[in-house]
Amino acid sequence: MKTEIPLSKQIRYFISVTEEVLDTEISLLRDPEADPSGTLVDVYTYPIEKNVIIFPTQYIGLLKDFVLAKHCTHLLMKGAAAKKAQYKVCSFTEDSTYRGMRQIYIDALKDEAKKESKLPVEKLIKMLNILFMHFQEDINELPWNTIVNASVYHQMPKIRKTQLYHLMKESKADMDEMMDQESIIPRRYFVLNKAMFYARDLYLANTLPADELKPVINIPQMKKFDHLEVKEMLTTRWTHTAWYQSKVFGDTMLEIVDDHLNRVNWNEKPSLEYYYELYQIGVNLTNHLLKYMTMSDWFVWESPKHLLGAMDNKNRYEIEALKKIFGDLITESLEEQK
Amino acid sequence: MPLKEAVELVKKGRMYAQRTKFKEALAYYNKALTLDPKYAEGWYFRASALIDMGNPAEALADCERALAINPSFSEVWSKKGLALFNLERFDDALFACTRALNLNSNDALAWYIKGVCLDELDRPEEAQEAYGKSLELEIILDMDAERRKIGR
Repeated sequence: MKTEIPLSKQIRYFISVTEEVLDTEISLLRDPEADPSGTLVDVYTYPIEKNVIIFPTQYIGLLKDFVLAKHCTHLLMKGAAAKKAQYKVCSFTEDSTYRGMRQIYIDALKDEAKKESKLPVEKLIKMLNILFMHFQEDINELPWNTIVNASVYHQMPKIRKTQLYHLMKESKADMDEMMDQESIIPRRYFVLNKAMFYARDLYLANTLPADELKPVINIPQMKKFDHLEVKEMLTTRWTHTAWYQSKVFGDTMLEIVDDHLNRVNWNEKPSLEYYYELYQIGVNLTNHLLKYMTMSDWFVWESPKHLLGAMDNKNRYEIEALKKIFGDLITESLEEQK
Repeated sequence: MPLKEAVELVKKGRMYAQRTKFKEALAYYNKALTLDPKYAEGWYFRASALIDMGNPAEALADCERALAINPSFSEVWSKKGLALFNLERFDDALFACTRALNLNSNDALAWYIKGVCLDELDRPEEAQEAYGKSLELEIILDMDAERRKIGR
């Protein structure tokens, strides 16, 4: 890596170790429009020759160093998997899209039956694929994000304050997802989505350690669930709210995360073997979370190329799934839309 | 007062630099500085582009020119620190950053470069302190950038 961007000794060392372990090259790019978490465009996912880490222009110091550390760690896991066996991601097929959308539809019908103001059918139909894709994106990000953050903390404890700022910001943004649609989407999916983020945040709050990152402290909607007494839990109406249920499901998800990540020796010297082990733990954790959410048959472990192809065919998969779910009722209107 | 034409040319150059088109930016800065060699900001922005193009030695020379015109130009001291850091002259870079911070203690980049220089000079405790200051200011910059994004 050759760069004119000033970097701390620690991060320069980590980037060069990453390049050395993977026998690859990393270049850095500042972009005023970059995602606040930065973006990794890597050779194991895209047909390119060099890895690029893109970060916001306003990140000039430790915020930039943290983003680089995070993406280098993720790159190490991807690269180790590619070199040791095969790097795979959670992709989808026509059949798996159907299974996912059908399940969401069944759950939506159950919810709709209890609602006074019903969701217009067109909106309901549109929501099925949007939700399915939402979970596809989250499940490809969340377990890895947790592992990457835990690893960065143990490898670079000196940037803990920076990491904490980043995580608190990220956590609030993630929890804000789906907020506008809370009354529209089936409760089960709202709860599962929030529970995943809750588990990640609580795991990292315990790891760093940082109480301020705990969802019951950092997330406004969850503050009222801090230090609840059993009696209170049984008698208040909170138990019926989506946020409270997210906490309950999230606590179970945290047990799953703990179960997988507590066996990691985070302080091990960076090597291909070590990062391959982390990758495998990430795959197992993802599978466990999918199983818990009864989404195991929604996705398939495939190459990143397969996922890029699936993304290209996303609309077709959606139409085919809708045809299977609704039969002749919908075929005509879909043909018209085409 | 700098020449109006020079100011306009530097503005155009900055627009290119923001899109990482440094060659084009440099062409505008050169024109501006030919018109008005006493325009300190012109030298400063040219130094920035030169650093981004991987030419810290020339950038350093531009910083010196800008400081000869305006010795209290804090951003130039900070940029000089960066050029010196890239030239691995850590002691000199530390001095330049300290000067920058004496003039403007809210310069996040100067605090960060001070931190990395102190790290290189094996003064880890002082480095941590500088990093801490840099982070505080960087967070303010980040929050401002977020607010601007939301406002757009």
